[in-house]
Amino acid sequence: MRTLLSLQGALYGLRDMDCNMKIKIKNVNLSALMFVMILGLIIFNSGSASAAVNATVCCEKTTSGLYCQNVPSQECSAGARQVPTACESTSFCKPGVCYNSGQGTCLDNTPEIVCNANNGVWSATSPAQCDLGCCILGDQAAFVTLTRCKYLSSNLGLQTNYNRGIKDELQCVLQVQNQDKGACVFDFEFQRTCKFTTREQCGFGLNGTKKGEFFKDKLCSAPELGTNCGKTKKTACLPGKDEIYFVDTCGNPANIYDAGKANDEEYWTNVKTKDESCNPTLGNANSKNCGNCNYLQGSICRAASDTNPTYGDYVCEDLNCKKTADGNSYKHGESWCIYNDAGESGVGNNAVGSRFYKHICINGEEVLEQCDDFRQQECIQDSIQTSVGKFSQAACRVNRWRDCTAQTEQLDCENTDRRDCLWKPGVSIGNSSGGACVPKNTPGLKFWEGEETKAICAQGNAQCLVTFKKGLFGGETCKSGCDCLTPDWEKQRIDVCNSLGDCGPKINWVGDKGYKEGFSKTVG
Amino acid sequence: MVNEKGQVAIFVIVAVIIVAILLVILLYPRLPLSRQGVEVQPISYLRSCIEPDLRANIAELANTGGYENPEGYLEYNGDKIKYFCYTAEYYKTCVVQQPLIKEHFEEEISRIIKVNLDNCMQNLKKEYEKRGYDVSFGNANNKVSINPGNVLVSFLTPMTIKKDSSTKSFDGFDVEFRSEMYDLLLTSVSIVDYEATYGDSETTLYMKYNPELKVDKIKLNEGSKIYRLTNTVTNENFTFASRSLVWPPGYGL
Repeated sequence: MRTLLSLQGALYGLRDMDCNMKIKIKNVNLSALMFVMILGLIIFNSGSASAAVNATVCCEKTTSGLYCQNVPSQECSAGARQVPTACESTSFCKPGVCYNSGQGTCLDNTPEIVCNANNGVWSATSPAQCDLGCCILGDQAAFVTLTRCKYLSSNLGLQTNYNRGIKDELQCVLQVQNQDKGACVFDFEFQRTCKFTTREQCGFGLNGTKKGEFFKDKLCSAPELGTNCGKTKKTACLPGKDEIYFVDTCGNPANIYDAGKANDEEYWTNVKTKDESCNPTLGNANSKNCGNCNYLQGSICRAASDTNPTYGDYVCEDLNCKKTADGNSYKHGESWCIYNDAGESGVGNNAVGSRFYKHICINGEEVLEQCDDFRQQECIQDSIQTSVGKFSQAACRVNRWRDCTAQTEQLDCENTDRRDCLWKPGVSIGNSSGGACVPKNTPGLKFWEGEETKAICAQGNAQCLVTFKKGLFGGETCKSGCDCLTPDWEKQRIDVCNSLGDCGPKINWVGDKGYKEGFSKTVG
Repeated sequence: MVNEKGQVAIFVIVAVIIVAILLVILLYPRLPLSRQGVEVQPISYLRSCIEPDLRANIAELANTGGYENPEGYLEYNGDKIKYFCYTAEYYKTCVVQQPLIKEHFEEEISRIIKVNLDNCMQNLKKEYEKRGYDVSFGNANNKVSINPGNVLVSFLTPMTIKKDSSTKSFDGFDVEFRSEMYDLLLTSVSIVDYEATYGDSETTLYMKYNPELKVDKIKLNEGSKIYRLTNTVTNENFTFASRSLVWPPGYGL
């Protein structure tokens, strides 16, 4: 797109983006002694261009194979049903909820015909099966539908534990945080063995055996339990956990990996919290001896590649981004705005084809996400203070420029709750006096097609009446509207013109000027 | 007296071990072959036979939203990427075009690899026949299931193998491949739901929630978006397109 725009800018020489300035000179004789001043006759073409709009129909299937679209009749596939009304009002394309009975997922805004064709269960309103509740999956929780909970539980070999009474995700997560965990000892094939799990799961019985005996906060390798599980030098990453854990001979997780405690009897007996483990305040990225990774600090358990740990095959991988495109370092999950095209942003004069970008630091990689083209979105950014320092967050948000030029008061213009506009004092557009309200980030326009760009840019047209008084013995002196003859007036008008969109004398996103001046001035 | 009890206990243990060994031999679905002392195990044979083709097809289909010949697609870098959600209008959220994404992907894979699966079964038959077995098949059929952590290919083909007086029958074979495609497909469902409801999705949240997931969102000038989901550990990816809540250039008149 960027190449396209710059090329088109060059090819078309920005011809539809011109603003016109007209300076009318009026000579008044002595006797008149009156000067008429007319300033700022600005022509508004408020987009009432009567574009011929084809009548649209709700089409069951378009020629390009898309279902339930409001399109011109000729784009409707042969044999597909079409009704001259919006799809929401038809029986066959009415949107509703499509329920997947296998996975227990629900999708909104799905037409009946599409849902049925894919073996889903369609209903106009959300069915009871789509109601969410809390699904406990061992020491994890998910806020999902009952069917989904059954699916996930069976996949993990767990009993379904579902609570419809919990109505929000936070409460659901809290449910599992206070669960007792410890060693569940039971007999299996004539052996006293153990599984590290929750008290609840131990009570249900494991691997089809009768329920086990639960020892809170004890590890399966605890000697006093007398099980067949013992110490090892092996480590593992666990689902849903950041840290590296030792594993015992039965495959159960033990405490967080700490090379110095690989043979410590006590460390293999009692459960230690994260704070009681090695370097609890650090991320321990690439540490050979400590597996106390911290996701919020940008480290997580991963298979070792560059660093060889003292024991096992896992290290805390560094997920943070060093020296990114803007020269700064960011933490995993941080995002920030970048506007590095030619020209400026936020002052009502963006370059043609320029665009906002959101950058994200993920897994040590800088991921780029464009905001909408034509500057229909702008990037906003802020940061929050966390226990590990500042954390930057950015988002692409709709550029609310559309009603800027309709504002006549500075207060309305600068109301950031409603719009993204800039007040330019001393100039005028339309009915405004004392200033003009223009977009803070000027919108991009399809100046190479249609008539709309002309209409938008024409808001910057200005006509100025300058009155001269002829002297008795020849010569003339300017009496009114004299400002219009100064370079400052011309500059001001160009400034207003630039602020309206891709109008006036502009550069494109790489910094090249258009082939034409971008404005015209006539005196007469 | 004590010695006798000990002997009985030893006999019992030996008997249990023998029975266990026999059970393992009888129940484990592999067929030891006499000639040249080489064994053909149906599951490992079928696995090595279908894996390259299966993985290649999954990767190729995943690039286009799970469709070999999609309708309603976006052409990008030579790929026809299926729109999972689309609206032709401005200012409106999209209409879902592909619900049950996982199920459709399974059907498409199953259809595409069928020819190769049939060939693999025929080759397996030939391998046995070379070793003097008499093999008969029922109707060849297959099913692909994408599950958390794996892709399961089920050969629903009854097979009977005879040699001399012994006969062995199989209802079918299940061959499992490690894959994280399930998570990518279910995340796609969630993204489509956001697109249909709110007009856009916040990809950073998905990536923060799942440390192994990378979501690339590519925005095109006419309002379409391409989502490319990648598992950073297995490098599997899945791509689809959406067009929702599009703001026109200018006033869109």
